Amino acid sequence: MIIIGERINGMFKDIGEALRNKDPKPFQHWALKQQEGGAHYLDVNSGPAVPTEERPEAYKWMVNVIQEVSDLPLCLDSTNYDAIEEGLKLCKRPAMINSCPAERAKIERVFPMAVQYNASLIGLTMDKKGIPKDAENRVAFAMELVAAADEFGLPMEELYIDPLILPVNVAQEHAPEVLESLRQIKTLANPAPRTVLGLSNVSQKSPDRHLINRTYLAMAMAVGLDAAIVDANDDALVDAAATAQILLNKSIYADSYLKVFRTR
Amino acid sequence: MGLTGLEIYKQLPKKNCGECGTPTCLAFAMALAAGKGSLDACPHVTDAAREALDSASAPPIKAIKFGSGSILGDETVLFRHDKTFYHPTTILIQVSDTMSDDEIAAKVAEINDLEYDRVGLHYSLDGVAVVNESGDAARFAAVVAAVAKATEKSMVILSNSAEALKAAVPQVAERKPLIGSATADNYEAIVNLAKEQAVPVILKADGLDALNDLVEKAQALGYKEFVLDPGSRTPSQSLANFTHLRRLAIKKKFRPFGYPVIAFTSKSEPLDEILEASVYVTKYASAIVIKTSIKAHLLPLLTLRQNIYTDPQKPIQVEPTLHVVGDVNEDSPFYITTNFSLTYYSVEGEVEASKIPSYILPIDTDGTSVLTAYAAGKYEPDKIAAAMEASGIADKVKHRNVIIPGYVAVISGKLQELTGWKVIVGPRESSGIVSFARTL
Repeated sequence: MIIIGERINGMFKDIGEALRNKDPKPFQHWALKQQEGGAHYLDVNSGPAVPTEERPEAYKWMVNVIQEVSDLPLCLDSTNYDAIEEGLKLCKRPAMINSCPAERAKIERVFPMAVQYNASLIGLTMDKKGIPKDAENRVAFAMELVAAADEFGLPMEELYIDPLILPVNVAQEHAPEVLESLRQIKTLANPAPRTVLGLSNVSQKSPDRHLINRTYLAMAMAVGLDAAIVDANDDALVDAAATAQILLNKSIYADSYLKVFRTR
Repeated sequence: MGLTGLEIYKQLPKKNCGECGTPTCLAFAMALAAGKGSLDACPHVTDAAREALDSASAPPIKAIKFGSGSILGDETVLFRHDKTFYHPTTILIQVSDTMSDDEIAAKVAEINDLEYDRVGLHYSLDGVAVVNESGDAARFAAVVAAVAKATEKSMVILSNSAEALKAAVPQVAERKPLIGSATADNYEAIVNLAKEQAVPVILKADGLDALNDLVEKAQALGYKEFVLDPGSRTPSQSLANFTHLRRLAIKKKFRPFGYPVIAFTSKSEPLDEILEASVYVTKYASAIVIKTSIKAHLLPLLTLRQNIYTDPQKPIQVEPTLHVVGDVNEDSPFYITTNFSLTYYSVEGEVEASKIPSYILPIDTDGTSVLTAYAAGKYEPDKIAAAMEASGIADKVKHRNVIIPGYVAVISGKLQELTGWKVIVGPRESSGIVSFARTL
């Protein structure tokens, strides 16, 4: 299970302010803290903190200040592909691109870029019309992403398909459809594409967010989830991920498996 | 094994004409992968695509049968712990047609005699490979006939000359030998001979690229009973080649390599040769041709084959009969345990270490450990009493004491009642047997 730490996001007040003030400290603080929590990747998202035209520069700056303190690979999270490309050029380890929807114009821009920079790519099962409600249409979009990976020569193991989970309080019927999508996405190609979720979205504006998050994470892992963008400092959630990994026979059991999961 | 949507999609015409009733080829591919439609709905699909899709759903490695019950191939994994290896390596000993008739008769007699019984298992050598080194077709045919007469075992018939094979093979075709080797130079004659005689044939080429070419050409002759030889004769190169062949066949469904593989040892020193053959047993060779026929050389190789091809999902069991440790007499202690090999050998090792000759009776618990068997109702006093009775232990010792595992102390009363023997509760762990035995 790949844990992608979500905390370096301009939507959080401390990161947004730090980005405007070019203050590296909060970036470096959260990079290290998430690494300690068990993150394997660090998501990097400027949020709306800087105007679009300044984002390429902002991503360069963020990548540099984070890499000063952490060796973790980065997950560059933006809809501004120029910003992502500037970031990719600086990444010391193969990065992840977050993300590309199943729209032809964007596929043609992003897939070759992933191949060029040896990066992984998160593909979203949606197009301009939005997020489908049922598993069938999510999987149809996933198939387009799989075919694109084949077309542009992106190794299937580098494609992470995100079937897009929505908040359970307002879009409850999506949760089981996403589970079914995860199951089917694993059958689209051999080797299978990988899967990812922006997990925290499932509990937006609900009480007991942590409980909802980790319960859904365990359920999703059972049907083939490979990675999740989560709060890497939610210890109970990371414990649940480590435990699910053991119960799926993906890591060899040891009494100290919770510790092992965090120190890999 | 079902096909994935992507594999199907790549074979479709990508016209997105919608004539199949599905808006795009991509959606049609997904429907086919989900089993919701038939390929016949597409009017534009080519014969080549249809063939590719048909053969992609076949097993990754074809089963090739020859001789007396030899099955090659039909394997599905790269590592036995992922599932199991199914068809143990067929091991054949080489006989040359340059040897004298007497030497050949002696060698075949020796091969026939290679039978072993060990830890309740029976091993035997699978067959003879007759090699045409004389260059003489008539001599080769005579030797093949003589060997066929002298043994019931599987035969491999090897020559570089299509003529020699034509002379030798038809007379023994009903024995269904494996013949070879067809190379880029002579494959038409040899593959056609194999086809006429309905026998499997070895395709030999130097390296994987050449082998791929040769397989495709040979398949074009309308025959598919092949065994592959990538031509390498050093252990490191063969290891690499066999790994590629197995991996491509299974992971990439690469059809030209979807056939079993035959290995030939290169070392002439017998101990080196056995080590070399051991590598091939562990790394995907379906058949191996070796030179040594000395009984002591072959036992470790056959034991390794037995071990590697054991199903890891099934617990390994020992025979549930009375076992003897050391030079027992009528005063020897009598232990009971289960027939799970891990359990049994733990007990046996400790009993041996106690240096007190003893009897051990492993109860048949379908190969489960003491506590597993007890929890599953397979270690009940009445069953143990029946096994004790059947084992004949009462005639072998004059005492009436039986030692049971400490973890099932609870059965002691009932067992004592049923058997009339004094039940002694032993230590919980077998590691306690040595000190326990001294107190007896």
